[in-house]
Amino acid sequence: MLLEMKGIVKRFGHVEALRGVDFHVEKAEIVGLVGDNGAGKSTLVKIIAGVYQPDAGQMFFEGEPVVFRHPSEARARGIEIVYQHLALIDLLGIDRNIFLGREPIKKIGPFKVLDKEKMEKEAGRILQEIGLKRIRSPQEKVAKLSGGERQSVAIARAMHFKAKLLILDEPTAALSVRETRKVLDHVLDVKKQGVSVILISHNIYHVYEVSDRIVVLDHGRKILDTPKEAVTPEEVIEVIRTGGTVLATQNQSP
Amino acid sequence: MSISKNVKPHGFIARHPEIGVLASFFSIALIFIVRVPDKFLTVPTLYSILTLAGELGVASIGIAFLMITGEFNLSISSVYALVPMGVVLMVNLWGVDMLAASIIMLLVAYGIGVTVGYITIKTGIPSFISSLGMMMFLRGILLAVTGGFPVRLERDHWLTYVLNGPIGELGLRTSAVWLLVLTAIFAFILDWTPYGNWTYAVGASSNTARELGVSVSKVKLTNFGISSLLAGLAGLMALSRFRVVDPTLGQGLELETITSAVLGGCLLTGGYGSISGTFLGAFLIAMTRVGLVLAQAPAYWYSAFIGIILIIATVINLFIVKKYVTSG
Repeated sequence: MLLEMKGIVKRFGHVEALRGVDFHVEKAEIVGLVGDNGAGKSTLVKIIAGVYQPDAGQMFFEGEPVVFRHPSEARARGIEIVYQHLALIDLLGIDRNIFLGREPIKKIGPFKVLDKEKMEKEAGRILQEIGLKRIRSPQEKVAKLSGGERQSVAIARAMHFKAKLLILDEPTAALSVRETRKVLDHVLDVKKQGVSVILISHNIYHVYEVSDRIVVLDHGRKILDTPKEAVTPEEVIEVIRTGGTVLATQNQSP
Repeated sequence: MSISKNVKPHGFIARHPEIGVLASFFSIALIFIVRVPDKFLTVPTLYSILTLAGELGVASIGIAFLMITGEFNLSISSVYALVPMGVVLMVNLWGVDMLAASIIMLLVAYGIGVTVGYITIKTGIPSFISSLGMMMFLRGILLAVTGGFPVRLERDHWLTYVLNGPIGELGLRTSAVWLLVLTAIFAFILDWTPYGNWTYAVGASSNTARELGVSVSKVKLTNFGISSLLAGLAGLMALSRFRVVDPTLGQGLELETITSAVLGGCLLTGGYGSISGTFLGAFLIAMTRVGLVLAQAPAYWYSAFIGIILIIATVINLFIVKKYVTSG
């Protein structure tokens, strides 16, 4: 088991965003995390990514108990999150975006200088890998990219830093059909490399297509945790719509 | 979508925010070359321009760096007077060595910048306001302490020659060297170090930078400090040239430095700009001033000229940013 969370509680003032959630991710498993707005999906993954700290509950990563006080601590363990807004900076070049916060450096005398050559070469290789052949230069500003291209760059950035767990928050929300296809293919590729993925989406069909397991949250509680084969997309939608009263009896956690 | 033939210019222009200021620079230079051909293209004229550009330019570099971080610091005009004033008073009244006094006052300047930054970050008010408040506060103190009278530096010191002494007979001063060296250093930091990358990122989108692990507050506070420190250094350069500090010294400098930075391609919204462009911006302002004097135009025209240049250059800059940088 790669990640295990037990009894996670998170409050924001009087609002209890998570009320004792158990959650886990196996190695090289794609978990679809779904639920209506305000179900607590984003809060849960932000706890995993070290953005928030839980008020109660335990978290284990690769079998060890962990507490992430800062996103950089989660990242150091190999947890990468790609936000809905992608965390790309329009005014910076693609290469500078990819390496922001972890720039490769070389030493010239006593000075630590950006290793621009490496940045450009690596960024170029990443662009090749994700098939962005249209891009003229790795130094092109991110502002010039389309929605799908941005999504690809953001995922590629996360992958480049040897993620063990990749969290994708609504990766297909703003994409065309063809771009969506490409992103879902990316997700499957990532799994083939032995990486686990948590996929958040409102589109159950996208989630269903690539996930191994589906977890439904509702008002801060887990109401469904099932291998994909055990349910149909329509049933998942029904569970979300009714808040779990339909399939509550089938609720199973391996 | 089009993969056009002019691949290079696209990338080139997008990476060089100095184009706008260069265009203005050559247009203005051309006017003066036509108007005063015998005097304008001479070495003493160049040196006069560099002398004027020196103090303005050093302060402008700090402001440009801070504007790229997405913040303003109007209080630098008061720091520009406060630092030399503090040095003169320490030297005259207590006999402190000028070097020691200068170091102390530069640390004070850095502290003032960090304080403005701290107020800005902690309260969430725009730095335009927090630094405006600091500017007025410090100017008030300057006027109150001196009673509004200028103060003269009573002892000679080698430091004045280092900061702004003459080189040779034709009017070149060490301030020009300071300006060039500091331009090179800060341009290097901005484009060749991780810190420069963080500075751009914080200015363009501080939330995103934070998510990617950049320590946003640290970068902002440091750059507030730098803007104030360089203004203080520029003030010491002014002191070294005149040996006198007027408590109103530097009034208007807060906007003149922003003018240089904007001429040089800095966006008011942060995340984009150039230090070498800012150098050219300061040089352009100084050149306009000197050129008008040579052309024997009344000095009053200077401000009108700069106003027009500023607007035209900014229009060019905005056009470039829209066309080559941010459009899809």
